[in-house]
Amino acid sequence: MDSKEAVEHLVALKVMRLTKPALVSPNIVTCDSKDLPGNILNNYLKDDATAVSQMETLAAGQFLLLPQSFGNIYLGETFSCYVCVHNETNQPVQSVSIITSLQTNSQRIELTAQEGTTPTMLDVDETLSDVIHHEVKDLGTHILVCEVSYMSNYNTLASFRKFFKFEVMKPLDVKTKFYNAESGDIYLEAQVHNITSGPIIFEQVSLESSQQFTVSSLNEVNGESVFGEVTLLQPQESCQFLYWLKPKENMAKEVKPHGPMRNIGKLDIVWRSNLGEKGRLQTSQLEAMALDHDDLRLTVEQIPSKVCADEAFTFKCKVVNSSERTLDLILKLRSPQDSSLLWCGISNRKLGPLEPGKTTFINLTALPINTGLQKVTGVSLVDLFLKRTYDYDHLASVYVY
Amino acid sequence: MDNKPSLSQYFGGSEIPPASQFFDEIGTSPSDMIQSVYLGESEGSRTTAPSVFTSSTSATFSQPSALDEVTFSNVVPTVSGTTSLPATSLPDPSTFFDTIGPEPTIGLTKPVTTTALTDAIDGLSIKNQPVDKDAERRRDAWIPNEEAKKTLMKAQSSPKGSFFPEREVLTMPGLVLEEELADALQEVAVKYLGVSCAGSRGVVRADHVTRDEPGLRELIRTGYFRAAVNLTAVLISAAGQGVGRMHRPTKHTPRSLQLWLTRFSLMLRIKLHEPLIREAEQFGDCTKPDMFYQFYPESYENRPGSLVPFSLRLLLAEIPGHVGKPDESMDRLYAMLDVIQQMLSNLRDGKTEDGSGLLSSEQDKAESIRLWTGRETRVYHSIVNCAIALKDYRHASNVLSSLEQACSTAGQKRAVCSALCRLALLAGHVTAARAHCRRATENRTHVCPTPDVREYVDLGLVAMAQGKYEDAYNDFVRAADQEPTNIMVANNISVCLLYMGRLKEAISVLQKAIKSDPERGLNESLLVNLCTLYELESSKTNEKKLNLLRMLCKYKSDTIPNVLECLKLA
Repeated sequence: MDSKEAVEHLVALKVMRLTKPALVSPNIVTCDSKDLPGNILNNYLKDDATAVSQMETLAAGQFLLLPQSFGNIYLGETFSCYVCVHNETNQPVQSVSIITSLQTNSQRIELTAQEGTTPTMLDVDETLSDVIHHEVKDLGTHILVCEVSYMSNYNTLASFRKFFKFEVMKPLDVKTKFYNAESGDIYLEAQVHNITSGPIIFEQVSLESSQQFTVSSLNEVNGESVFGEVTLLQPQESCQFLYWLKPKENMAKEVKPHGPMRNIGKLDIVWRSNLGEKGRLQTSQLEAMALDHDDLRLTVEQIPSKVCADEAFTFKCKVVNSSERTLDLILKLRSPQDSSLLWCGISNRKLGPLEPGKTTFINLTALPINTGLQKVTGVSLVDLFLKRTYDYDHLASVYVY
Repeated sequence: MDNKPSLSQYFGGSEIPPASQFFDEIGTSPSDMIQSVYLGESEGSRTTAPSVFTSSTSATFSQPSALDEVTFSNVVPTVSGTTSLPATSLPDPSTFFDTIGPEPTIGLTKPVTTTALTDAIDGLSIKNQPVDKDAERRRDAWIPNEEAKKTLMKAQSSPKGSFFPEREVLTMPGLVLEEELADALQEVAVKYLGVSCAGSRGVVRADHVTRDEPGLRELIRTGYFRAAVNLTAVLISAAGQGVGRMHRPTKHTPRSLQLWLTRFSLMLRIKLHEPLIREAEQFGDCTKPDMFYQFYPESYENRPGSLVPFSLRLLLAEIPGHVGKPDESMDRLYAMLDVIQQMLSNLRDGKTEDGSGLLSSEQDKAESIRLWTGRETRVYHSIVNCAIALKDYRHASNVLSSLEQACSTAGQKRAVCSALCRLALLAGHVTAARAHCRRATENRTHVCPTPDVREYVDLGLVAMAQGKYEDAYNDFVRAADQEPTNIMVANNISVCLLYMGRLKEAISVLQKAIKSDPERGLNESLLVNLCTLYELESSKTNEKKLNLLRMLCKYKSDTIPNVLECLKLA
């Protein structure tokens, strides 16, 4: 191959992918000084250029080793590559230049190089080289195309091309789940699955929310990540991130959002792997199904979490009219047989007309008769115009002691 | 070629080298390496060596019972005058574990070490001279498991000559590797440079030493590892554990186990993994009762402890980790750790390691605790190494962090922080690496006021991980200013230069490093780097590689197991 190459062309092209180098350690073999080999093997270890002095027996090395294989490349990583043209003859070669491009399934990308594009003279044994970087944004087959041209011995422009193929793979699998709360808040659970072949570290996982929401991350407790010091994912491991999205004030007023889907935002993930190899992915716009709100919403505003048995307690509820007409409502309180709370106060109470988009608050009082975690149940609202009854059988839970 | 290429066509053909072309060699052909070891012994060594062996073995080992005395009274009148020296000629007589163990006590213990050093071969020559009983107990201490304890009790309580152990309790090793190993470098040299260039180094060397332990040490010291492995085979065969002796009852002595230790250490170093695993298998985890002195009341009375040197025990536990089964190693290392911690707890209670007696003095106690804490640390290091091999960086950094807690001096703390920094880099955790690096700096300021090589290198590595190659380069250059001859620093500068697009300079830095210190510079990993750069530069690399081979022949003996892979010679 080499000889043929040399006959055909005056220059040779070599390409090497620059993944991050590795840190290597020596082969650690030690003996006690009183063993048969004495300190001889220990001294070999100490003298090894790859050993770390004072930490010879630990394989956390400091000696950089160049990448010895092409390795895997994943979407969101940066493809770096050393391109080198060498004058293989014993005389100068004129007008040498390299043009590199990347062909993906969908497009052809010209790779900008700092040098090499302008024709230069290559002296004997000289090289023309370049490091190219490209952030990989497509999956699947990529072909690196290198075109080298130079002035041949017959003063004509000669050129040749070389192609290097590689596959770009998917690094992460992101699954999302939405939970709609009655209050209009949305909880987003994102499960990120490492499908690369090595461990990765998340440097950043954040939800860039759309204009409609303020987002808070629920992945920290008292400022500390729930994943511990390091969010390290071994291959095939996954971890869940939880976000709480609150509709912004002006959006909350618009109680009935338009359309069934709402834009939530994008997940932005930055990870690193071997020796800091960096990757970054953004999911497409996440969309949550809007909760199919009834015309009427009843939510608990304030409720004690713990109450004493046999002592009445009061809590506050919020009634929102999300329909387009004025509602005339009656509040009914029932105490089902198995319920451990007995209602105090008037049932079949009229709440008066409630205009569209308006809110009213009601205070309810109940008497717990059993201890334990008890459901607040048995509240109904009746729309007098439509004669329709809205039952709320699990408004909240309280702990009775 | 058109612009509508069918993809497979480009890389299937031999015409176009894929981007991975330079890299495949190391990855795919470790088996070649082992084969090159088995194959082609030169005819000469085949005919001469056995005859030498047989004559010398019969001389030295004709009477197994008198073996110990014969060997060690022999030390002075050996063929090569240097062989009696190796122990003292070593540059640093302090034990290797001292560098890891608590520092302040080193000074205190040195006298003990040096007096004991004269019998670096001790334990094998019990009858010759009075030895430090405490030192002996301390060094050999190990707690047998419950199963073994029962058998040992039986051995101790049976009347003389009436103890016949079952086969199951016996360790029955034997040699597996039958072929004599040829000098690996020599073979490559003969193939690529011709017989005249290669000379006849290894074979002659092996013939020049005595067929005993000093001769063995001489071979190891001069770096003829394969010849040394061959010699261990001779000595082990003479001790009745040679080829075909596997699964047969045999007599173990501290000496036979030292021979096995030497053999296994060497095989591990030159990566003879396959025969190593098979030969080591018979030892299991050294828990069989015949690995304890109490098994032999007639020879050792009720001397406690194990015949198995600690280094052998550790090495056996580490072996699976070298052949792609680090999880297996992990289990065995933790089992070892369990025993060590039991012993340390006995020591702290004022008892001997195995808990059977009381310590004679405070000094004895301090010495023992020092030794076993050092060994405990060594096991922890192996555990970290296994975790790194498993890429379980979380586990590795947890263990290292706990070691950091145990450090008593700023210097030690600093070394651990620095290791934690590099560990974080292996995982790609740049932010943590920076934090560890900062803590290392804080500790460093207690030791020396200005940044040293260690610090600059760590900073450079962190910058490397962040993709800031210019910064990394500057850090490494600062390190080089302090230690211009440091091979590792030169290597890192070179790697950095490549990422900065300066291939020619990268090559010249490495070449200069080799020239400045060929002994250290001709390092396996450095050679791999240099040959990678050669191949990237030009397609005419052969002469350059052969030059490296010539240098290897000139400066190195037989310490690099995979010369072909390092030089990427086809």
